[in-house]
Amino acid sequence: MLRRLTTRLLWSVFTIWAVLTLTFAIFNWLPGDPARVLAGPQARPADVQVIRDQLGLDQPVTTQYARFLGRLLRFGGSAEQHPNAAFWGPVGLDLGESYLKRQPVVSLIGKALGPTLLVGILALAIQVALGVLFGVMAAYWKHTVFDWGAVLLTLLGISAPTFLTGLLLQHLFARTLGWFPLDGYGESQLEILRSAFLPSLTLGLYGAAFYTRLVRDEMLTLLQSDFVRTARAKGLSERQVVFKHTLRNALVPLVTVIGMNVGSLVGGAIVTERIFRWPGIGTLTVNAIFDRDGPVVVAVVLLFSVAVVVSNLLVDASYVALDPRVRR
Amino acid sequence: MCSTRSTSEGAGRPSVSPAAPSGTLARKPVHSAALAKPHKFPQGNSILRARLGCARGLQATLLCLLALTGCSRELAPPIGERRAGPPQRGGVFRTAFFTSVRTLDPAVGFTTTNAAVGGLLFDTLLTYDAEGELIPQLAERYQVSPDGLDYRFDLRRGVLMHDGSELSAEDVVRTFRRTLHPDTPSPASFYDRIEGFADYRGGKSTELGVRAEGKYRVHVRLSEPDSTFLHVLALQLVAPLCRSAGDRYTREAGNTACGAGPFKLARYEPDRTIELTRHEGYYVPGQPYLDAVHWQLLVQPFTQRYKLESGELDYVRELGRSDVTRLRADPRWAPLGEWSPPNTVFGSFMNTERPPFNDRHLRRAVAFAVNREHIAMIRPGQIVPQYKLVPDIVIPSEPGYPAQRHDLAQALEEMRLAGYPYDPATGEGGYPHPIDYLCLVDSFGQQVGELLQQQLAKIGLRLRLKLVGWPTYQALAGRRGGAVMGTTGWHPDFPEASNFFESTLTTGAIAEENSQNNAFFSNAELDQLMVRARGNPSGDERRALYRRAEAIVAEEAPWVMIHTQRYLEVSQPYVHGYRPHPILTQHVRGVWLDRSRKEQHACLVPGGARGCLAGALPASFGLHTRPRLGLRGPGAWRSR
Repeated sequence: MLRRLTTRLLWSVFTIWAVLTLTFAIFNWLPGDPARVLAGPQARPADVQVIRDQLGLDQPVTTQYARFLGRLLRFGGSAEQHPNAAFWGPVGLDLGESYLKRQPVVSLIGKALGPTLLVGILALAIQVALGVLFGVMAAYWKHTVFDWGAVLLTLLGISAPTFLTGLLLQHLFARTLGWFPLDGYGESQLEILRSAFLPSLTLGLYGAAFYTRLVRDEMLTLLQSDFVRTARAKGLSERQVVFKHTLRNALVPLVTVIGMNVGSLVGGAIVTERIFRWPGIGTLTVNAIFDRDGPVVVAVVLLFSVAVVVSNLLVDASYVALDPRVRR
Repeated sequence: MCSTRSTSEGAGRPSVSPAAPSGTLARKPVHSAALAKPHKFPQGNSILRARLGCARGLQATLLCLLALTGCSRELAPPIGERRAGPPQRGGVFRTAFFTSVRTLDPAVGFTTTNAAVGGLLFDTLLTYDAEGELIPQLAERYQVSPDGLDYRFDLRRGVLMHDGSELSAEDVVRTFRRTLHPDTPSPASFYDRIEGFADYRGGKSTELGVRAEGKYRVHVRLSEPDSTFLHVLALQLVAPLCRSAGDRYTREAGNTACGAGPFKLARYEPDRTIELTRHEGYYVPGQPYLDAVHWQLLVQPFTQRYKLESGELDYVRELGRSDVTRLRADPRWAPLGEWSPPNTVFGSFMNTERPPFNDRHLRRAVAFAVNREHIAMIRPGQIVPQYKLVPDIVIPSEPGYPAQRHDLAQALEEMRLAGYPYDPATGEGGYPHPIDYLCLVDSFGQQVGELLQQQLAKIGLRLRLKLVGWPTYQALAGRRGGAVMGTTGWHPDFPEASNFFESTLTTGAIAEENSQNNAFFSNAELDQLMVRARGNPSGDERRALYRRAEAIVAEEAPWVMIHTQRYLEVSQPYVHGYRPHPILTQHVRGVWLDRSRKEQHACLVPGGARGCLAGALPASFGLHTRPRLGLRGPGAWRSR
């Protein structure tokens, strides 16, 4: 078990390094000059060159890469010595300085992470809650209006792009009904929660549609299985049959998919945050990509890859809890 | 029309739907009646009723959603009506930007959004009046020596900076040195004719030709005469800053702003909001009228329209095309919109170093073939056909002024002269290879590119659109040997014709990378004209030189000029004193609000009373910071 865990961890580190290196290479290969973006479209070539020199972009890519890796983890030292680093005890993470914003990248990500996590968690909760609810209903009342309604809605939910869903929800709930703010973040906790609802719902509906189908199909299969028949034959109540025996087994693939979908949740957040002016990682990423702000893009990729790797590890761990056979 | 359609569709469904679901439903219990739902589920007609009830509920919900999302297309009316009266003091002016403001440091931020915000935070030595003419601002007066090399600026006395200190010549000198410092990532080369610039910028010397002569006089010594020098003093790059800004750029300075403008910074949250409050020590008596100006950042154009309707924003400029059309078509809103003067020129560059456009006849063929009137029809009102490089706002058109024109017959003749004759009747001939046309994806430039494809096909040129994002576009268009043809444009840094020619079409603007001269056009006569114009203090003589330069551009056609663009600037009726400025974007210094109308609106609309009350509640209640937002439904608009 320990050996298996160690192997998984080593693979995770390798995966993260590979993703980082690839991102660094691709981003440097892409046409586009952050110095030009920083200087502005009207700046003269001489001014752009001065900025290139200041940012170190005149150095070979290999030098820039070595510099990036060399400073990524700092052992010892303090925030005063390394102003771009965030320290946890003796270990510091230094992702450099944003070309455009001229601020430490760790600080930019730190500010954007909270709002993204809030929306992400709410969206995940909506996805799972709606997905499980509608999936169970659709399977239990198969070939009824619930089932057809669920199938239709999931078809719409999966087919509609996130930005379209977002625009419709904004139009309906914010512009027309006025129940929620059109966009923005808010000041107080209440306002922040209200502001987070529509972006979360936008992200949540897409996933909910997906999960509904998954749970429905899984439940349909399981409801026909022998152990369910046995459970009913033993005289268990229908609630126990459905929720304790069937649903619990149906959740195993759901958990797997949730882990894999963390990446798509973040991908959706990029669009959704833009529509709702949500100051999260998505907004930061979009701006950084358009501005060719390499340090921010690489840092965001690092964050995402760590999130995906960790979520997959958690999924693996959750199997143990959900499926006793894995423990053997 | 929309509601009628929905109603009729909705009315039709119940008569059809019961039969279909019931038939299906009737089959279902047989399938797994014993196992799947044996115990508690209602039976017989009650099942059917329950299911039909659900079906109807679902239908009703869908219809409501359709009605609410699809049919509420009516614009909310403006808030109140515009009333004449003397300017009132007070109120918060709210507006928005689609983009963000990366820094508030005027030495570094050189975008239109920066210019709009900085226009309120920073005063400059010179500025532009409402007609776009240069006038003194912090400089009370200035003198230029006869040889055009020495400029002396006498500063206004008693000008208070935001930190309470009095503006002095030392502040001006320090700001110049800071902006031009080697460590400052600024577009400093605007000031390259200041004596000692090259060495100072290169870090080889500390000497710069900007000096204080006493407390209130600044002396600037140039190495060569420069007719654009007074214009570049109106740029915020050298707007005097407080002593706290230091003598060189630091990253912390991007989050603060301390100058001598009518407003000072109250709050800046990158990518979210900028809030300014009135600078009580401003040297113009009684001004500014507004208590504060708030910008929301990164607001989508359609959301800006929603917010304008609801009164959350008082003024917007970055509207989408459909919103522009709707606002102009609505008699209640139409009088509240005003077009900004078109000062940006858009067109297509043709790379004069690469085939096929190293042949001037082919370039001329393109210039003659483009039907600009046709292109302008994509966005009536917003897009104005343009035939010369310098827009009318800088040099007005007059009969006989050199310009390109649309002449299909002449275009075909130019194709023949280029050696690629084309017969429109048979479609035979023309240039045998497709030509890549570089343009921004999902932009108006892409639409123009698609129309150019059609128009140039008539003379035997086949364009192949190469759609890219902004950074890629900049890299490819600015790289020598990069793009053959593509969309281009120029927004003037200052209203002098040389800014258009020098920046885009002179040899000096060519570079291997990041070239501003995307056409890589090099013409000795044009270069010479610009040198002469820059050194010539006479406006009339410069205009004659520019006229000749325009003739060269029309004849050689490194660009085909296509259009200028106007923005519809719309404000609520209670906003007074705003007029789109010919040079400065969102120039709201003279704006005042009819506060009675605005506040009355906030308190009278349903939910607005909560908004008024909320102002008295502590922040933790989460209501008072956005009193009207989210507290009104559609009925509120109609009740006004």
